[in-house]
Amino acid sequence: MLASLDRFGPELAVMATAGLVLLADLVVPRRHKAWLAGLSVAGLLAAALWLVILVLRGRQASFFDDSMALDNFSIFFIFLFIAVCGTVIIASLDYAPRFGSHQGEFFALMLLATSGMMLLAGARDLVTIFVSLELTSISQFILAGLLRDDKGSEAALKYLLLGAIASAVILYGMAFLFGIAGTTRLVTTNGAPSIASTIAAGDAGIRSALILSMVFLAAGFGFKMAVVPFQMWTPDVYQGAPTPVAAFLSVGSKAAAFAVVLRIFYEGFGPNTFVGNDWKEMFAILAAVSMCVGNVMALRQTNIRRMLGYSSVAQAGNFLVGLAAISALTNGRTSLGASGVVFFLATYAFTNLGAFIAVMAISNRTDSDEIADYAGMGRRAPIPAAVLLFCLLSLTGLPPTAGFIAKVYIFNAAVQADLVWLVIVAVLNTAVSAFYYLGVARQMYLETAEGLPTLVRAPWATQGILVVAAMGVLTFGVYPIPLIEAAQRAVNVFG
Amino acid sequence: MTSVPQEIPLEQFIVLSAILFSIGVYGVLSRRNAVLVVMSVELMLNAVSINMVAFAVYTAPTLFVGIIFAIFIITIAAAEVGLALAVILRVFRNRGTANIDEIDTLKW
Amino acid sequence: MIEQFGRAGFLLIFAIAFPLIPIAASVALGVFRIRPRKPDPIKSSVYECGMVPVGDALVRYNVRYYLFALLFVVFDVEAVFLYPWAVAYRALGVYAFVEALIFIAILFVGYVYAWRKRAMEWI
Repeated sequence: MLASLDRFGPELAVMATAGLVLLADLVVPRRHKAWLAGLSVAGLLAAALWLVILVLRGRQASFFDDSMALDNFSIFFIFLFIAVCGTVIIASLDYAPRFGSHQGEFFALMLLATSGMMLLAGARDLVTIFVSLELTSISQFILAGLLRDDKGSEAALKYLLLGAIASAVILYGMAFLFGIAGTTRLVTTNGAPSIASTIAAGDAGIRSALILSMVFLAAGFGFKMAVVPFQMWTPDVYQGAPTPVAAFLSVGSKAAAFAVVLRIFYEGFGPNTFVGNDWKEMFAILAAVSMCVGNVMALRQTNIRRMLGYSSVAQAGNFLVGLAAISALTNGRTSLGASGVVFFLATYAFTNLGAFIAVMAISNRTDSDEIADYAGMGRRAPIPAAVLLFCLLSLTGLPPTAGFIAKVYIFNAAVQADLVWLVIVAVLNTAVSAFYYLGVARQMYLETAEGLPTLVRAPWATQGILVVAAMGVLTFGVYPIPLIEAAQRAVNVFG
Repeated sequence: MTSVPQEIPLEQFIVLSAILFSIGVYGVLSRRNAVLVVMSVELMLNAVSINMVAFAVYTAPTLFVGIIFAIFIITIAAAEVGLALAVILRVFRNRGTANIDEIDTLKW
Repeated sequence: MIEQFGRAGFLLIFAIAFPLIPIAASVALGVFRIRPRKPDPIKSSVYECGMVPVGDALVRYNVRYYLFALLFVVFDVEAVFLYPWAVAYRALGVYAFVEALIFIAILFVGYVYAWRKRAMEWI
């Protein structure tokens, strides 16, 4: 049992830090709330250090009686979530005073949401998945409404109502899965019956119930991944929520949802079982619809955060291409589609965080998210504008950025899985997306800035984060091999 | 462990739960007051709890995991309702209404 | 199976008939002009244990009750988890005892937080 707790260490460290921050908030005076950010980042670093030590000791195993797993997949995502949360906390130092007396709650809830995501990455049991999903979601509902203003509370209400419905739908699917298999374990290591073994046995009588459960799970997780037709909340929340929260949601929540979908569908349902083709086709259709609707809706947006919201719907469609192409193999073992999703998620994390933090740095000075107000921003705020431009190029998928490599990788997987029609749809959509991404760039660099004031520079921490994000996007665009190998090792645990 | 009630087939529980879930979905789609929407979501969650407990008793009578699952559902439903009421309260103070048709600053 | 429902059904029929019979009798006596009909304001007012009824029953409750309801729900749901643990206490042993202590400690942190944030004061 102590060995299990050892493997559970990173999550425990983050949760304990959240509790500490909440308690410290009661005694720290208002002028010194920045200390709480320091405490949060220290907790995240401790978790990362613990995880590094676990990896060095080679402690990868299934633990807590197979309800959690510490494998290359969960390690990859835990590092990703720690990095995302730390980045957002550091970048939001400039923004946090807007929360007034609720700064402590902001940091504590960020940590709690992150710990939920870390749990999701390793969860192997339906109960664990559900509880960690709710830990993430409920923290994010509060975060979305933390500013308590008109738009924020509206966004929080919409997010919460739709999120609660999505949870109920997921649960209904899980109930059937539990009824079919008689257990909640996705996979077991000791030979006991599990959901995966029940499905692999392939009794034709359970097929219709399995498909019912699959549809419910895809609908519920589709909400968390923000794919059409479950995307309604995305632009509203990205626009209404505080900007750092929107940045965190757009990356962390989406990555966690894809991680758990990979766990359930790839590890649980399996790509080569008698329902494998059903879920692959389902995701292929969702991918096509998401890309088309997301891009077309993004074209007509005038608010940059709303535009990024629809862009994230379209990007979710790109990730789903990888899920649909899961059976394309490389080296005879590694799934190209799944490793493409994981690699794409990691590059997307850098890219979207960079874009959102640049938007935050600019809008914190101009108090406006309208794209029209970005006129001449290349001169008025050079560093955020340059990073924003670079990240938008990566979101479009132009070289020499990480987004380009990721798109090529995932389209290659789709071609190998005989999904040429999907690749054609995706490439056409990439062309459409260039219009609105580069429209912002045109506004920033080609519109005149005469008469508009040069903006006060963002604090050095924000600028540093921006530069790091841009460097990440560039590095993985030029030399992506290490990240691709890490992604392939991560998905090999399912293969 | 409770003995399996032989006379009542499992299907009746599944049908009951499906009806309850559908009523919840109908409520979510048709109600205009945010509090009533939350109540309808509760109905959906309770439908799932019935399903979980029924499956636990019929298909895995030696495992308590389905019943434990139902307890977790109750807990998280309580957390969600508490939070939902807080958010609705905040919206009501800002807007003077809890009617979800009138909460439409953010759209398209 | 069906006879079990039969017993419950008898109870059900009785439960429906019990309030319906007096109402039907009252209506019937009125129709046949057997019972006198002399309404006055006090007679036709809502019977409220002798008090004079004031206003509508559908009032808006003070929002402060919400905080109390929320705190109640937190500790109410805590009990849901502690009951199974208490029932199986002997079988579970020390490990579950420590787990329950941690569980209560987390709730205690929330309690301290609520207290310090003045959630329990009648503002």
